[in-house]
Amino acid sequence: MIRKHRSRAAKAAFAISLGVAIVIGLFAAVFARPAQSAGTKVVIGTKNFPEEFILGQLYKQALEAKGFSVGYKENIGSTELIQTSLTSGKINFYPEYTGVIVQDVFHHTSSGKTAHATWLLAKKLEAAKGYTVLNATPFFDTDVVAVTNATAKKYGLKSIADLKKVGSFKFGGFPECKTRNTCFIGYTKQYGITKATFTPLAGISAYAALDAGNILAADVFSTDPPLGKGSKYTVLADPKHVTGFQNVAPIVKASVATSLGSKFTSTVNAVSAKLTQNAIVAMNKAVIVDKQSAAKVASAFLKANGLK
Amino acid sequence: MLADTATMHTFVDAARFIGNHTGLLATKTLEQLALSGAALGIALAIALPLGVVLGHFHRGSTIAIAASIVGRGLPSLVLIAAFLTVLGIGFVNNMVALAVLGSGPLLTNSYDGVERVDRDAVEAARGMGMTGWQVLRSVELPLAIPLIFTGIRVAAVTIVATAPIAAIAGGGGLGDIIVNQASYRLSGVLGASICVMLLSALVFAGLAGVQIAMTPRGVRRTSVIGEPQRREL
Amino acid sequence: MSVIAAGPVIPTFGKGSSCVTGDHTFCWDWVRAHWGDTLGPALWQHVELTAIAVVIGFAIAFPLALLAHRYRRLEQPFGIFSALLYTVPSLALFQLLVPFTGLTWTTVEIALVSYTLVILFPNIVQGLESAPDDVIEAARGMGLTRLQVLTRVELPLAVPAIIGGLRIAVVSTVAIATIAAFLLPTGLGYPIFLALKEPTPFKTEIYSAGALAVALAIGCDGLLVVLRRVLVPWASKGLA
Repeated sequence: MIRKHRSRAAKAAFAISLGVAIVIGLFAAVFARPAQSAGTKVVIGTKNFPEEFILGQLYKQALEAKGFSVGYKENIGSTELIQTSLTSGKINFYPEYTGVIVQDVFHHTSSGKTAHATWLLAKKLEAAKGYTVLNATPFFDTDVVAVTNATAKKYGLKSIADLKKVGSFKFGGFPECKTRNTCFIGYTKQYGITKATFTPLAGISAYAALDAGNILAADVFSTDPPLGKGSKYTVLADPKHVTGFQNVAPIVKASVATSLGSKFTSTVNAVSAKLTQNAIVAMNKAVIVDKQSAAKVASAFLKANGLK
Repeated sequence: MLADTATMHTFVDAARFIGNHTGLLATKTLEQLALSGAALGIALAIALPLGVVLGHFHRGSTIAIAASIVGRGLPSLVLIAAFLTVLGIGFVNNMVALAVLGSGPLLTNSYDGVERVDRDAVEAARGMGMTGWQVLRSVELPLAIPLIFTGIRVAAVTIVATAPIAAIAGGGGLGDIIVNQASYRLSGVLGASICVMLLSALVFAGLAGVQIAMTPRGVRRTSVIGEPQRREL
Repeated sequence: MSVIAAGPVIPTFGKGSSCVTGDHTFCWDWVRAHWGDTLGPALWQHVELTAIAVVIGFAIAFPLALLAHRYRRLEQPFGIFSALLYTVPSLALFQLLVPFTGLTWTTVEIALVSYTLVILFPNIVQGLESAPDDVIEAARGMGLTRLQVLTRVELPLAVPAIIGGLRIAVVSTVAIATIAAFLLPTGLGYPIFLALKEPTPFKTEIYSAGALAVALAIGCDGLLVVLRRVLVPWASKGLA
């Protein structure tokens, strides 16, 4: 009797385990990463902050709506990391800031004299390496230095140069800021600030760190919602324009742009043309403050403007 | 794609990073040990006595089981993120999160250790006229040491090895380098990762050694390592 | 560089409820609204990550365990190796694999499979060895071949331990997979990482993704307990 139960149980055990394994295996196989299809595929990458997610989604969805095959790798990292992705071929398209191209990718100490000049210079520099820089957006998003309103009042801070009054303090920013001409290096060298210690912020936001008092000043971005109306933070003036001109222009591998032709470039440029300061600020707010998903916000914007 | 010269180069770079930045790595290691030590201390102070007492009175097995399940099923990232929202950024929130993490195996193992002591031995001791406290101290605890210590070891290794993730929430330590690839390049990330591995292994080996030394000779078994109780970081 | 053309139409994107903008502790409306675009897909990816890791881990551990059971020499070295692998923080292991296999699912899965492997192997071996010697003697005495002893005696008796191992493996993998989001924008860890980056960390996203991860772990654990009860009704005790 017991033997009968045991052998039945054994068979049942086998059968069920095998069955479950097959089901899960099939499952996994069906949903496994599809192999790269032949033909030119646009592989879009984005950096690691919401504005880039929005831009990535905008370009991705607009291209898909026009029938292009698009891969998407979100949140790759900052400039240095995403540049590696681009040059190693893992992606062939990503939205970059013109000043960043000139000052951080090519290490010039300053951008061009105007936004347009910066864009032209970026285009020229990248073309020499085999990358096309498409049209720039009307909006720009530069790094800015912010302190809490209380700090600004306490030390009488109006411009970045005033930070010299503070003595030694902690300056927070995304990690690469430390080595950038458009960021920490620019601020300290150009304004003669010698006593600032750089604190890299990897996971948490600079605003959270400012609020917690972990840092005194931070490098943030001009289109961030916390800097909007009625802000708790004071943006310090940058008269020497250390942070450069920072309109967004997509970098695309030249061979990909050529093979996909003018339909590709005009689709991308059409999207860029619509991205005014108001538009991007509204979209940032929707994603960061109202917690909408970047994909949905991009979709709504494209639809409203006949690009999808 | 697999080990080619570029990959090997990266590891050589990582070794070079370790060589060039010993000061930084040492500071970060100490930071991590401080955070881990504090967290372990709290866990030891709360979970260990609780488990021992519950085991002695053979009560609260549900609590012990729940602790084990919660300890296993709670991803450290979730714990750290949740405590960040409540306690802010910095040392305290991470210390608390890691203490909670370490308490799971500690509670379960101290409870099991004491609860499973051979009832005959306990009966005999009582028969000899020992009070409950004396029984606990002279009979149950010595016999429970292997399991309790395994619990301490699992808790310690788990805490030390989870601490890198706390860097995201301002916890400092070697994690600061690992999550900051942009600043330290891949060579730095790999270098710090190797250091973290070595640190965990050292803590593991060190505590295993102490455990073997502390276990009363009569109770020592051949293998102290035992099976992995739970694992996640 | 353009734009003398008409400005764009900026649609309303749906204002976040006061709960969201005021950063209250938990906003059900956000969860409901974003199940489809954020939480649901993340959960699905997480299930995928875990399932693949556990299935592959089992597929490797099972034959290895049968081998170790047959040739006892393999056990000790493996025990030490697995204890050491256990001390490696998952984040570090992921990063160490990146130079070899890049930022891909492969990297993540190799790490996850390693962890499930070291959990499943000892548990399966222990299960196979749990058959009492006299029962095996009796079976051999009745004329059963070695294979029959394995399939009719040892394996059925091993089922509780195997399922015990699967439970630990699944629960651990669900937890480690949250860290994978550091490398790839996938799984339930990703919403948490993103929420942490916000100017004020977004509580609801953290709590909801976290709760889903915990629920997934506990749910799978429960399912496996049910499976065990179905397969081996006589083995109802055991903390495993």
